Amino acid sequence: MVNSTGELTVTGVNHSYGTGKIKVPVLYDINLHINKGEFVALCGSSGSGKSTLLNLLAGLTKPEEGSVTVSGAQISSYSENELCMFRRKNMGFIFQSYNLLPNLTALENVELPLIFAGESKKKRRAKATEILHRVGLEGRIDHRPNELSGGQQQRVSIARALVNQPGIILADEPTGNLDSKTEQEILLLMREMNKENGTTFIIVTHEQEVAEQSDRVIYLQDGRVVQKRTRPA
Amino acid sequence: MKLRTALTSVGVMIGTAAIVAMMALSLGLKESAVKSLENFGNLTEMDVEPLRWYEEKGEWIDVPEDKVKKLNMQAVQELKKIPGIQAVMPIKELREQAKLKVGRREGYVQLIGVDVNESAAYRKNDIEKGDYLTGSPQEVVVAFDVSRELRDVEKEKREERRRRTGGGQAGQSTMPPDMGGGESIGFNIVDRAATLILSREYRIDDEPKYEKKELRVRVVGQLKKTEERGSSSAVYVPINVVKELNDWVTRGREEENNEGSTRRTREQAKKDTFEFDRITVKVESREKVEGVVAALKEKGFEVWSPARELETINNFFFVIQMVLGGIAAISLLVATIGIVNTMIMSILERTKEIGIMKVIGATVLNIRWLFLMESGFIGLIGGLAGLGMAWGAVELVNYFGASGGLLDSLNMGYGGGNPEGEPSKLAVIPGWLALFAIGFSFVIGVLAGIFPAIRASRLSALQAIRSE
Repeated sequence: MVNSTGELTVTGVNHSYGTGKIKVPVLYDINLHINKGEFVALCGSSGSGKSTLLNLLAGLTKPEEGSVTVSGAQISSYSENELCMFRRKNMGFIFQSYNLLPNLTALENVELPLIFAGESKKKRRAKATEILHRVGLEGRIDHRPNELSGGQQQRVSIARALVNQPGIILADEPTGNLDSKTEQEILLLMREMNKENGTTFIIVTHEQEVAEQSDRVIYLQDGRVVQKRTRPA
Repeated sequence: MKLRTALTSVGVMIGTAAIVAMMALSLGLKESAVKSLENFGNLTEMDVEPLRWYEEKGEWIDVPEDKVKKLNMQAVQELKKIPGIQAVMPIKELREQAKLKVGRREGYVQLIGVDVNESAAYRKNDIEKGDYLTGSPQEVVVAFDVSRELRDVEKEKREERRRRTGGGQAGQSTMPPDMGGGESIGFNIVDRAATLILSREYRIDDEPKYEKKELRVRVVGQLKKTEERGSSSAVYVPINVVKELNDWVTRGREEENNEGSTRRTREQAKKDTFEFDRITVKVESREKVEGVVAALKEKGFEVWSPARELETINNFFFVIQMVLGGIAAISLLVATIGIVNTMIMSILERTKEIGIMKVIGATVLNIRWLFLMESGFIGLIGGLAGLGMAWGAVELVNYFGASGGLLDSLNMGYGGGNPEGEPSKLAVIPGWLALFAIGFSFVIGVLAGIFPAIRASRLSALQAIRSE
């Protein structure tokens, strides 16, 4: 397994949904390169293929054509189990609906990736507590998701994504369920983590505020990359 | 814990309780049958004799005379090699009855020679008073009834004379005590000097000769009372003493028959053909008795011990256990299907959770392990509760069984239980059964979880995470 460097390359990817004769094409000839430590926004209208592209980058879907290389590893050829192990070491995920396990506390949710990585209880507790402090949830570590606000739940989700110190964070509409004030806080937090740790952030969004805060914005329309805009320094 | 999971555990609890209670009942009955058998003698001690005939296809076949085993030193060595045998105790009895005289009392006894070194460790526990033999030829140990069977002959003769002359009390018994003529009362003969008196008769030139031999000994110990009637008048001495006394008894007769033989050749012949009367073997534990009996029979020996019945008892109760356990296992099978159902429902409900776990790095093995442990613990909790339930049922059965006299009517025809020992129980849960029940219920749970766990691990992470 290649060590995480946080770089991503997509080469000649075509993808469609459905099987047999009925196939719906969603991505056409996608070519991308994202550098380590970049904060990238994937924008586009509904059905433009941005979530499908994110799933391809995460290895949750295999491209029909082309290849996806993450941190030097061509993950499009990996088996399901290899992908699970690769994700555990190299990637963190932030979802729009937080996707925390409802029966576990904030601390236990953050500990989960470390459990799968085989960390000792003492180490994982220390790491999870530290990261929860960093995202500003020191007083909420023993609360269950239903006892937390949307913003707090998303902070737990960010802490969970970062706890394994991955090179890449993939976020699917991370501020979609939040009010504008909380959205700003979460964006700020993600930006902070991006700068502090040099972690690559790829965020699927259709919120203009998110796009404005990104280093680069990639626009998709009908499955094609139509524009790549880099924020002026 | 969800109500559905709790109810599934209740299913396992009932199944486990049924199996444990049924097994406990058959084990308890078997135990009381074996205890009843022990009333006929120690099961770990058995007398070995040469096999003279055996049964094959319903017919009794004689063992050819040259193939019949000899109970000699070679046999002792052969027996010592059988796994499970702790000690081999050869026995040689005096061919004539000897008279034992202690003070003014005397009586006829059976002189039994034993290998002191081999038997000391086990017979020491049977000593009621004094000590066991140390190997000195002047020491004897007597059976419990010996002191009761010794009579003051002179006193009895005096009383008989007095009765005849009319001086005795009317209605007094003329029978000796051991024939129902009065109360048999023992007196202490331990640590007292005694004399063993032997006699032999033979003819030289058609003239009858009578010779008497007296052996000064000390009674060093007395054995506990035993049910074995054959040993009631036994006096135990080192085996070499019996050998010498047998030689002395038979020498006179042999001199009559073999006047031409030299003394040396006769002694050599005796040494070569010397045989014990019987050999007692001590088995390490009751569990090894069956194996030892089988090995002895295979080597051409016959066993005379209640232990022979152990195999029949074990076979009978094995069938009972299988039948009762099998019936109870049906309820556990139903409970197992319940676990499978609960786990499948749980997977359907937690599909999204499985998806999240897969996305954040759980491998196929992680997911399978998670669900296998979950179903294993449903089984384990049910098993522990079932064991508790079975324990309660067993206590009730024993309480009502003992108070209702059910045990006495179920003693399998081997006699009553030992009134001095621990009371017999109708059902028992040995440690191994309790551990087996807990382990088995956990394993059942894990096995029931295999199919759901595989199903969970095969879910697509993307589809799972999108499900609601």
